[in-house]
Amino acid sequence: MIFLRRQLPLLITMITGLLFAGQYYVPHPASEQLLTSVTKWLQIIGGFALVLGVTSLFHQHAVKIRRKEAGWGYSLVLYAGMLGTIAVGFWANGKESVDGAMTAFGWVYSFMMVPLQGTMFAILAFFIASAAYRSFRARSREAAVLLIAAIIVMMGRVPLGEYLIPLSGDVSQWILNVLNASVRRAILIGVSLGAIALSFKIIFGVERSYLGGGKE
Amino acid sequence: MTFAERMLKIDRRIIFLVIGLCTLLPLLYPVGLPIKISPEVRSVYDYMEALPERSVFLLSIDFDPASKPELHPQAIALLRHAFRKNLRVVSMTLWVSGTGMADQLLTQVAKEMGKENGKDYVFLGWSPGGTAVIINMGQDLYTAFPSDYGGRPTKGIPVLEGVHSLKDVNYAISLGAGNPGVEAWYVFGKDKYRFELGGGCTGVIAPGLYPLLRSGQINGLIGGLRGAAEYESLIGQKARAVAGMDAQSATHVAIIVLVIICNVFYFNLRRVPRQQGHGTS
Repeated sequence: MIFLRRQLPLLITMITGLLFAGQYYVPHPASEQLLTSVTKWLQIIGGFALVLGVTSLFHQHAVKIRRKEAGWGYSLVLYAGMLGTIAVGFWANGKESVDGAMTAFGWVYSFMMVPLQGTMFAILAFFIASAAYRSFRARSREAAVLLIAAIIVMMGRVPLGEYLIPLSGDVSQWILNVLNASVRRAILIGVSLGAIALSFKIIFGVERSYLGGGKE
Repeated sequence: MTFAERMLKIDRRIIFLVIGLCTLLPLLYPVGLPIKISPEVRSVYDYMEALPERSVFLLSIDFDPASKPELHPQAIALLRHAFRKNLRVVSMTLWVSGTGMADQLLTQVAKEMGKENGKDYVFLGWSPGGTAVIINMGQDLYTAFPSDYGGRPTKGIPVLEGVHSLKDVNYAISLGAGNPGVEAWYVFGKDKYRFELGGGCTGVIAPGLYPLLRSGQINGLIGGLRGAAEYESLIGQKARAVAGMDAQSATHVAIIVLVIICNVFYFNLRRVPRQQGHGTS
């Protein structure tokens, strides 16, 4: 069984990894056809992953309800929300509206999900302001530089700031385009090199944590 | 407890009230300060403006209702511009929770501009796979989306005539609130299938996309509500984003004032023990 559990997945990973790393550089129609087919598989696997995710979520919260763990009431709300939405979704055939008339699924989406998500995002402004007041202090030289840069960018990104300090717009643009872009680029290069190294480790079977634990 | 200490531990509800008022009052009494157009937003506008009639414009609405306040106005402004230019609009989303919202906004703007579904625009909806959908669209659009959001087979839809893959798209814009978003469209789409790509994103993501902008990997960037307001000004249809700029101006200035006040009290508090130390020695 060790072959099925360990060696076969490692072999599949190595072959597909090398094949598709090479495929990028081969524009032959057969190679392109292979990519078309495989991306379709990826989409199908993506669909299954969604089912797997929902099942796992249900299982996790079912355990919480059964054991009556702290906050199990919220799990009940989650169950009610998810089952309710799935039921109306199937009932409406996944459509928010039919011939211009809103379905129950559309109602759940427009009048529950949209305002709830909007509210969550909107209250961020209040918490950011409160957090900025409490923690944005020039405790060191580095913090002072960060503070000044933040104030300039905040001023330069709004019309009132540009009206009060006309230069703030250009300075903010310079900070974003030069200082920010160069640092971000350095981080991106570092992350990309790390991703390449990790990919090689996975392809050649050095990194195996994705296989999971369990008995061999 | 000194005054400075008390001020540093101010009840956060007072801060919430200040931010609430700074948001509400400018919305009720707009000032309408002029908005300066940034080069990155102008690039998107200029590129759209230069596209010939019936060019294929792909708008990927990669956000959910949480980012609606910032990205919805961007989408509306871009769609108004595209429809006014008589472009063929192909829209889709990589975020399943944004599907209904994307359909509503496309239908709303198309109706306003007198455009016909299937002839002038199509909404492909959502397809599972995240970034794999982009690659699949680059290989074959009809494999990625065999039918549109309404369930109609995509093959044969007049607006998609001559469009087989992403290679046939003249200009694509991803309005992203995270991953998959603008970066994914560059990495898995533009880099391989060679179409021009622009980006739109929330204000918090924008600084992270400047390296792509500076290297020409995206030709323009509409960042946050400010970017949407700039685009609305460029197309001459000032709407929700321009209205929201006064509120954003006031809240930014309020936060700056709060940060300055907090630092003044902080330094004042730090100075006092030092002076006391000097006095006793």
